Amino acid sequence: MIDLALAGAIDRPDGDGRAGGGRCDDAVRFTVAIDDGRIVAIRFGADACPSTTAAAAWLATAASGVTLLDAARLGTAAAQAVVGGARACVEVAVDALHAAIGDAFCRGASVPGDGRLAVAMSGGVDSAVALVEAHAAGLAPVGVTLALWIDPLAPDASRACCAPDAVRRARDACHALGVPHVGLDLRDAFRERVVDPFIAAYAAGATPNPCTRCNGDFRLHELVAFADRIGARRLRTGHYARVDELDGVAVIGRGVDETKDQSYMLARVPADVVARLDLPLAGRTKADTRAVAVAHGLAAAGVAESQEVCFLGGGQLRPFLRRAGVRASPGAVEDERGRRLGGHDGSIGFTPGQRRGVGVSADEPLYVLRTDVARNAVVVAPRSRLGTRQVWLDEVRLSVPQERYDAVLRHRAAPISATLHDGMLTLERDAFAVAPGQTAALYAGDLVVGSAMIASAPIG
Amino acid sequence: MIYLDHAATTPIRDAVFEAMLPYLRERFGNASEPHAHGRAARAGLDTARASVASALGAGADDVVFTGSGTEADNLAVAGRLAGGGRVVASAIEHPAVRERLLAYAASGGDVAWAPVTGDGLVDVAVLESLVQSDDALVCVMGANNVTGVVQPIAEVAAICQARRVPLHVDAVQAATALALDVAALGDRATVAIAAHKLGGPKGVGALVGRGVRTLAPTVYGGGQERGIRPGTEDVAGAVGLATALATLPNGERRAALRDRLESRLALPVAGANAPRLPGHACLLTGLRGDTLVRLLDDAGFSVAASSACAAGDAAPSHVLAAMGIDDRAARGALRVTVGVATTEHEVDRFLAAFADVHARLAAAARAVG
Repeated sequence: MIDLALAGAIDRPDGDGRAGGGRCDDAVRFTVAIDDGRIVAIRFGADACPSTTAAAAWLATAASGVTLLDAARLGTAAAQAVVGGARACVEVAVDALHAAIGDAFCRGASVPGDGRLAVAMSGGVDSAVALVEAHAAGLAPVGVTLALWIDPLAPDASRACCAPDAVRRARDACHALGVPHVGLDLRDAFRERVVDPFIAAYAAGATPNPCTRCNGDFRLHELVAFADRIGARRLRTGHYARVDELDGVAVIGRGVDETKDQSYMLARVPADVVARLDLPLAGRTKADTRAVAVAHGLAAAGVAESQEVCFLGGGQLRPFLRRAGVRASPGAVEDERGRRLGGHDGSIGFTPGQRRGVGVSADEPLYVLRTDVARNAVVVAPRSRLGTRQVWLDEVRLSVPQERYDAVLRHRAAPISATLHDGMLTLERDAFAVAPGQTAALYAGDLVVGSAMIASAPIG
Repeated sequence: MIYLDHAATTPIRDAVFEAMLPYLRERFGNASEPHAHGRAARAGLDTARASVASALGAGADDVVFTGSGTEADNLAVAGRLAGGGRVVASAIEHPAVRERLLAYAASGGDVAWAPVTGDGLVDVAVLESLVQSDDALVCVMGANNVTGVVQPIAEVAAICQARRVPLHVDAVQAATALALDVAALGDRATVAIAAHKLGGPKGVGALVGRGVRTLAPTVYGGGQERGIRPGTEDVAGAVGLATALATLPNGERRAALRDRLESRLALPVAGANAPRLPGHACLLTGLRGDTLVRLLDDAGFSVAASSACAAGDAAPSHVLAAMGIDDRAARGALRVTVGVATTEHEVDRFLAAFADVHARLAAAARAVG
């Protein structure tokens, strides 16, 4: 029975979500009015097949009068059990309801109460295990996934961790446990605050690390803000790193699994956000996590690892930058004295230490030393010339200042003992191929006590 | 529950049921056996065959009973194309003909599709230009099952006779209201009918016309139906088909009810300007036809959609597409077909329910617009 009593739309809603437009051309919309975290009015629109329309009508009734978090428990399996129909049809209606719930939170709705645990869900195995264990421990978890911008022309956009499929997978993992799941659509903000600076950095000849910037300045802030709105003191994530304390300040520490350690990626997260984190995989290896996932029969157990730069969606960097308007024109590959050794078809994307693609034959192997954007030149040199002991830093953040630091100048690089004065990092031994735009993570032992962005590395 | 899907199938009428009963019980014999039981069954079969022949203007020898209208259509097409050859068919044929021809084309056969006008009538001028004197077969249905549009069969038959090409007419829908004269269609013409559309039982049809004499059998067996369609005869079914055909009321009542329905609804109607079967209304609702079917079902009315979702199997109706109706409008098509027993009261109750459902679904659709 399809009950159309709640068909229509609310004027000036507190949450508005749409879904559909895929192969079947169905379209569903939910509008909600919220009072004190409760859905006090809800209407649905549908131009869709019977199954989708029936699911939308049922969801509207089921979400009527309940809190946003109880509405966020309503999922595809539950709707399908009531209204039947194909999963893909029902899912369109569920997507639209969840878009409206997420929109309500994005517009500032909050749900009273405390004692909840926000769990950041990526759709992958790590966060799925983090969720299952929170649920088993009775921590009242609430799953949250950020929908982030992905290059729409990427070959493999659905594999990125914040693609619609991944959001649905995260939602299903929550709903399988009866746990609420909220998807926050932050595509525009992510584009503006992470992707655009990434593009600009490349255009300026740097080699940016978008992940440290995203974690440090965007993603975890948004997730903690969501935790605040649902009365959750902590935000649990599936990172392989730990939260520790040094001199009364919350700091990130290395995880047990050296091959998966993500402390570098979290290096720019400010102490007030670190203090809110709950990282249960700190003492685990990836193999441990997969074993737990298999033991719980989690669908995410077999999900492929997401790639490093999520918004490239498996695509190549240079075509992406070209589409983003970064100009690439042929120029010279030259030595340090400015002698032309060969040519390149665009200096963007060359990074210090790179050897592949240099395309110059010489007596000894030549590596990229730096790019000179103003002259569109790529400067190459023998490996011996790539070492440096002084690195200029920008945007320095020190949570617990030290005399000496163990500086890590790119992901998975070995730490080098260093001192820091007036933005100049002085290394105890040579670092090779230091790339402007990368993050310098400053450790004290295995604790991250500061970070900065590498501005330039004076040579010699 | 009010039934307004008579183009899909019809309830068996009392007179038909009564006529069949003896052949399901005491006259159960095998009509091919010479004994008394067999002779009793044979007598019923012969009478049924003569009755069907008479109703369609054919000789008794030119009636082949089949297990369905679909089987009759398949026999007419496959039995004619056993030796290959080119086929011209209308673009709006029922799947019983269309799918058989698509399979023929997929295996290398030559099939030309004749377009229809915006009103759903096969374009006779184009058809005439397509048909060649050495073609193996022309297929044009008597009336379309989606729109109810009655096709210009006399003109098509004249073209076929002038070029000496066999004609097959799928009259499964047309026979619900039209008088058919098979003799006028030519020496090698065939016509397919099915009992269940006429107030008869499911599981019986017939292929009728002098053309059956020159068909190759598509199944082999004990030689029944002159070897063209062997298998122990379904005498009760044949009697049911004959009775249903002979006792079918004319279409005046159905036409009056259909006109009442269409005039009150004031929606666009597919094929509105063409001659149509009397009980047939194909409404272009502007909403989703499949969803309206579900909502009307909830409200106690059985009607049909012409197209399902674009991702599904039945998407979108090839008939409406051939008429130039775009996918979106086609998805809104709702087929309402009244039957010989439908009452004005039932039509009026449907009108009230439809107005309510349509208004609420329109509100849902507007919200996403």
